[in-house]
Amino acid sequence: MKSALSSPATGERGGGRSRIPFFDQSESFRRLWPEIEGNCVRVMDDGKFSHGSMVAEFEREMERYTGARHVVGVNSGTDALVLLLRAAGLRPGDEVIVPAYTFVATATAVVHAGGVPVFADIEDHGYGVSPDAVADAVTARTRMVMPVHLFDRLADMEGVGRVARAHGLTVVEDSAEAIGMRLHGTHAGLLGAGGVLSFFPAKTLGAVGDAGALLTDDDAIAETARMLRHHGRSGHTLAAFPGISNPTVVTGGNSKMDDLQAAVLLAKLTRLDADIRRRTVLSRRYDDRLRGLPGVRAVPGDAATRSGEERVVYVHLVEVDDRDGLVAHLDAAGIGTEVYYPRPLHLQPCFAHLGYRPGALPRAEAVCRSAVALPLYADLSEERVDRVCDEVERFLTGGSR
Amino acid sequence: MTVTTERAIPFFPPDLFDTDREALLAALYEVGTDPEQKFILGRRTARFEDALRTSLGADHVVACSSGTSALTLVLAAMDIGPGDEVIVPAFGCAPLASTVLARGATPVFADTDPVTLTMDPDHAERLVTDRTRALMPAHMFSVMADMPRLRDLATRAGVRLVEDSALAQGGTLRGRPAGLWGDAGVYSFVQVKVFGMPGEGGVALSGDAELADRLRMLRNHGQDGRHRFLHHRIGHNSRFDEVMAAFQLHRMAGLEERVARRTAICSYYSSHLADLAGRGVVAPPVGGDGRFPYVYTLLCEDRDGLRDHLAASGVDTHVYYPRVLPEQPAFAPYANRGGEWPRARDAARRNISLPLYPHLTDERVEHVVAAVRAFAHGRNR
Repeated sequence: MKSALSSPATGERGGGRSRIPFFDQSESFRRLWPEIEGNCVRVMDDGKFSHGSMVAEFEREMERYTGARHVVGVNSGTDALVLLLRAAGLRPGDEVIVPAYTFVATATAVVHAGGVPVFADIEDHGYGVSPDAVADAVTARTRMVMPVHLFDRLADMEGVGRVARAHGLTVVEDSAEAIGMRLHGTHAGLLGAGGVLSFFPAKTLGAVGDAGALLTDDDAIAETARMLRHHGRSGHTLAAFPGISNPTVVTGGNSKMDDLQAAVLLAKLTRLDADIRRRTVLSRRYDDRLRGLPGVRAVPGDAATRSGEERVVYVHLVEVDDRDGLVAHLDAAGIGTEVYYPRPLHLQPCFAHLGYRPGALPRAEAVCRSAVALPLYADLSEERVDRVCDEVERFLTGGSR
Repeated sequence: MTVTTERAIPFFPPDLFDTDREALLAALYEVGTDPEQKFILGRRTARFEDALRTSLGADHVVACSSGTSALTLVLAAMDIGPGDEVIVPAFGCAPLASTVLARGATPVFADTDPVTLTMDPDHAERLVTDRTRALMPAHMFSVMADMPRLRDLATRAGVRLVEDSALAQGGTLRGRPAGLWGDAGVYSFVQVKVFGMPGEGGVALSGDAELADRLRMLRNHGQDGRHRFLHHRIGHNSRFDEVMAAFQLHRMAGLEERVARRTAICSYYSSHLADLAGRGVVAPPVGGDGRFPYVYTLLCEDRDGLRDHLAASGVDTHVYYPRVLPEQPAFAPYANRGGEWPRARDAARRNISLPLYPHLTDERVEHVVAAVRAFAHGRNR
């Protein structure tokens, strides 16, 4: 059955004309299939397919990996953010300062948790929220600040922490992209009240569907989040069917994680550190080829690393003068890219009611015009990285124009 | 005393998908290694939506992350928010209240009909105010709500009708499937449901094209499906996984047969338990319009006694709703002041559900019936 369903034409290496997708985990998946299948059989033997024992096992393994006191498995990084904000005590109408340059969920989660997002600009050199901008955005209604660790490094947590302490703000982290990133040995998401992880398939640790988690060292936050993910029900519900009739003590929803996704993630977790090393090697290869090319403004490896910081390159993002031209050129050459992000959040239609105007947050707006992410994943070959670099170089040096 | 032996008849069976294990593994492998590497809201999900649309005669089917999430998306798509009231049944599942509260609106609890255990249209009508924006009845256990009267009430009151049909797949009333009576309806596919699957997921159904477009936008971060990272609305992450779509497409052919088997078990239960009404055990009627075979629920004066008796006889049972929604700690602060729900409370006190799934054998069904009858006739107590 399997052989009939599996498709050829992937995993082809070095073939000059084959397409280089922006993301591909099929080779890893195939290689890990015996472990994945074994885990899935255990799920089928157990018979509870969401919020079940494999989710519990994955949580314990993630606690071990991250060092978190609590990992709470949920259905997506987005829902994890909503649960984190609510469990950390956000009240209706509270303001939460978030960067303007990030995925939209950072800010919509604030809305779903009952709060109001307030956008701050990002650092001059880097993509994290600027601590000075956070300080400028504080009002009497500000209750929390949520820095985001984007792409390949942590936000300036010490700088944000100083501002938060000065104004009595709770720090929560959108660490959805930051698995493996640490500061002085502490995993991302554990540098404030709590954080999240996304296991969206393209992430450094990715499922083959939506999944996410909340992580915290705070017992009360974890307990509240555990109730919120299962309709606000108290007591024991994980891997326990009859728990669906436990009293509903908080207004929750359904943010339960699928055990089959946990089964895939547990298998991939065994390769995570090796995958991270592989990403580092490939990212460095990009940097070495692309730095200094005409029109290249920034490559990830050249930004100064903060003391005690362990980077993980989830996304290899470069800034170039003619970003849209480069994207079109690479697409024509059969190379997938992703534009993270074409429009800052304060100028998104869904936040028009907040009244921000173009020019309000200039650094975020500028990066949205110049940033593009290149293919980067553990299954990518050096030859393919070289081919991407050849095409970038050809475009930038006018070879094909 | 509750003694669970290996011969006990489970209420939540662990082997629902055992005959499709290979198909599930194949679906996972196929999606994981597919050159397209698209895992969420891809071509399989689109095919599944189409297949449901065709089989139901629905206009729009929008797959999302759960039945609960589908209700949330529907309320959001209708722009129901702070200051609005939504009339919901007092007896039922937490999402009836929590999805309304999540929108910043207020749930107003209506009492239930004592026989169908669904929202009483007369009580609902008395609760309509200037702030009412929607009625949200729910089908319950195996009986559809009185949708013709609720449809009429919604029309007369000028409010939307949201049909919580999460558990009612397979039911029809006056020829119209559950889920298609409201301005929008939902199905849940969590494993225990009629069309359950080994993961979380659901759909929203609607005949309103504009509403459906909004639902599609809202389920994926407010994007329009053409311009990536352009967010028109405050959206959610409420998407459907391709592995589950592949599995559901595989299982769709057998759905009718599974529904028929569940229906046959319900009919057997009812025809063999109907005469116990005078002995404090009330069974739902055999068949009738607006029925669906999801959960088989008795009303029993000595509910805990029946539960203990069945447990001792090797039959697991479940009490879905031991308390009414306005008395749940989370919802009590929002309950209509001075509200009373005597029939809902009575249902909460008496409801108890028996095992019901397609692979429940005749022998086991007969054993369950014998055990219930023995209890009602006062033996082994």
